[in-house]
Amino acid sequence: MSDPRVLSRRHFLKKSSLVPLSSILGGFAAAEEAAARSAEQTVNVALIGYGQWGREIADTLLRIEEANISAIVDTYDVMLTRAERSLPEAARHSDYRVVLDDPEISTVIIATPTHVHRQIAVDALEAGKHVYVEAPMAASIEDARAMAVAAQNASDQIFQVGLLSRSHPNYRSVFQFIRSGALGKATMARAQWHAKTSWRRTSPNREREMEQNWRLDPELSTGLIGEVGVHQLDPAMWFLNERPSSVTGFGQIMLWNDGRDMPDTIQVIFGFPSGVHLTYDATPTSSFDGAYDLFYGRDSTIMFRDNKAWMFKEVDAPMLGWEVYARKDNFYKETGIALVADATKLDAQNIDPTEDDPNMETPLFYALREFFDNHAFGPYPPAAGYQEGFNTAVVTIKAHEAIMNNSRIELDESDFEI
Amino acid sequence: MVTVRLARMAMACRFELILYGEDAVRLRAAGEAALDEIERIEARLTIYDAASDVSRINARAASEDVRVSSELFDLLRTAKRLHRQTNGTFDLTISPLMRAWGFFRNTGHMPDPEQLEDARALTGMDLVNLQESDRSVRFLREGVMLDFGAIGKGYAIDEAVALLREAGVDRALLHGGTSTVYALGSPPEEEAWKVAIPRPDARDEPLALVDLRDESLSVSAVWGKSFEAGGRTYGHVLDPRSGEPVHGAVLSAVTAANATESDAISTALLVAAGTDVSDEHIHEDSEPIGIWPFGLEEGMRALIVVPDQNKAFFRVVEFGLTALESARQILVQPPSTSSQ
Repeated sequence: MSDPRVLSRRHFLKKSSLVPLSSILGGFAAAEEAAARSAEQTVNVALIGYGQWGREIADTLLRIEEANISAIVDTYDVMLTRAERSLPEAARHSDYRVVLDDPEISTVIIATPTHVHRQIAVDALEAGKHVYVEAPMAASIEDARAMAVAAQNASDQIFQVGLLSRSHPNYRSVFQFIRSGALGKATMARAQWHAKTSWRRTSPNREREMEQNWRLDPELSTGLIGEVGVHQLDPAMWFLNERPSSVTGFGQIMLWNDGRDMPDTIQVIFGFPSGVHLTYDATPTSSFDGAYDLFYGRDSTIMFRDNKAWMFKEVDAPMLGWEVYARKDNFYKETGIALVADATKLDAQNIDPTEDDPNMETPLFYALREFFDNHAFGPYPPAAGYQEGFNTAVVTIKAHEAIMNNSRIELDESDFEI
Repeated sequence: MVTVRLARMAMACRFELILYGEDAVRLRAAGEAALDEIERIEARLTIYDAASDVSRINARAASEDVRVSSELFDLLRTAKRLHRQTNGTFDLTISPLMRAWGFFRNTGHMPDPEQLEDARALTGMDLVNLQESDRSVRFLREGVMLDFGAIGKGYAIDEAVALLREAGVDRALLHGGTSTVYALGSPPEEEAWKVAIPRPDARDEPLALVDLRDESLSVSAVWGKSFEAGGRTYGHVLDPRSGEPVHGAVLSAVTAANATESDAISTALLVAAGTDVSDEHIHEDSEPIGIWPFGLEEGMRALIVVPDQNKAFFRVVEFGLTALESARQILVQPPSTSSQ
């Protein structure tokens, strides 16, 4: 029997191609794309970790035709009972090693608590599997490095980290836009995540409850900056095209004083070599104004909210031309120009580019779509591979350290060496 | 015994949850997971987000088989059963009708006859084909649209309650926008949760008090969006069979073992009560014999408020739910004093 990892088009597109192929494929007509994919063989996937996010992944995989969830792994029987209801055809296991031994399974998706990513990911890579691991990649630098090294050594296998913005068409389009100078000179960045939730989980089984609340244990988890902030820090590092050289953090328990040691309110300042600073705050004590990211510059400010982007132009900024026709949304006294990805493509399909794209999918879909495209046409370096995953993991781990000590930490190039 | 109260905005209304138990921290965590589940379901079912499962079905199911999750497939199967059970008065495909009548994101207007005819041709659960083998959905006509508005809230409440039970919660009350409520167990020292149904003519006063224990209650009413034309008021509750707004019945209430059923059947009952209520149902002692009408099943309790034959006053028709004596008297006043 053939090695399930060897996929049909592997050889006509070699690893030398550094351009993510899915961005080229974006130009294909939908029908051609579908035909190309249906010609591909089914990919048998094991989903390891079937909590809230694991279920999202499972539901999203339904939209990816060639993905077949052949096994679900979780150490908690309640989750396996849920899996039985949702995916009756999938095998259920409590030990992930069973799926690593299964030659029919070429691919694993890891959605377990962050501190157990390392063991599973490294074992899976060593067993020859393709790996998609949720972000943050790890909660300790030692773990992150071990995973990055294993991924580096398995260059014929795909290793993708769930840094979702990297695969999202709106983020990609704004990335191009910023690179072409839309901000003028970038001067600063700010992001926030505000919610009202105790961030705690419960179970009738006390021991299980302890395990479920790993996010509240500063020894196991990097808390808010890692589990939430990573998805806002990563696009900032990507857009600014640099890695922080310092991080200053503050963290305290302001509301959920229920026995946890993890701060429920954090404020962090990331300094970048260019002089730009990103200020970030996250709290589950107040939902006011939700979550967004802002990139400020001389000519304009760009805001991300709910994976959509708007540009707020300075009155003295040069005219771009197209902004006259673009959709505008009002935010109190400011007028945001909607930045719609693929506006010309929408126009070609007779879809009004000033409306939201009716074909828009969730951020998780785009990330998984890219992962499975890579199975068919790769392996090429994913938009969020081990290097990107490692970089953001290092920064969130250092930030967590700064938050726990209310201190400033300097970062240098050697911190990012794998 | 401690009490924890939580609230969350979802599905364009306020969900509220009251929990009783021994440990406030754990009750809150369980309650938050339940409310998270409601948000998750909203994200799947909403037609206001192009990335939702339902938007995706609506965009594609006319031209291809759309694979859906087993949860959504089960819900669609339930919806088909409820459609049959309610004689077509509960229907997830009324979006084109709502648009024709201008009730989509608007307060409504008289429809263009041609547009109404087209919309009627796109209405009916028989136009939604469910394929068991690969759990896929297919529309039999271009333009069919699913809208889970009449069942989504109830379904979300049921799923949330399942999570509460899983977390060991045994005393809780969860409602969505006060129109659908599920009572888990009972409050301490009480036999049941006591829930009031508001009077259609004076919403601060109770029409009936209902005891609930491990049971749901849904109330549907014609208040809300409406417009006037030719001296007649047209409300936003449409009869899927005729394509016309429900005329006459002003309120229905149903209890059921789960909120999915009560949510769907209360809507269906309001539709049926406006058109299908015959004299025999209106008699004071209208206790049904044998088969319950309008999709009601054994174990369910219901009431409807309908105009009397000569339209001079409203009357409560009871199927196991009893109106308060005080409300009953006022409701039989002429509409000049009991109008909306």
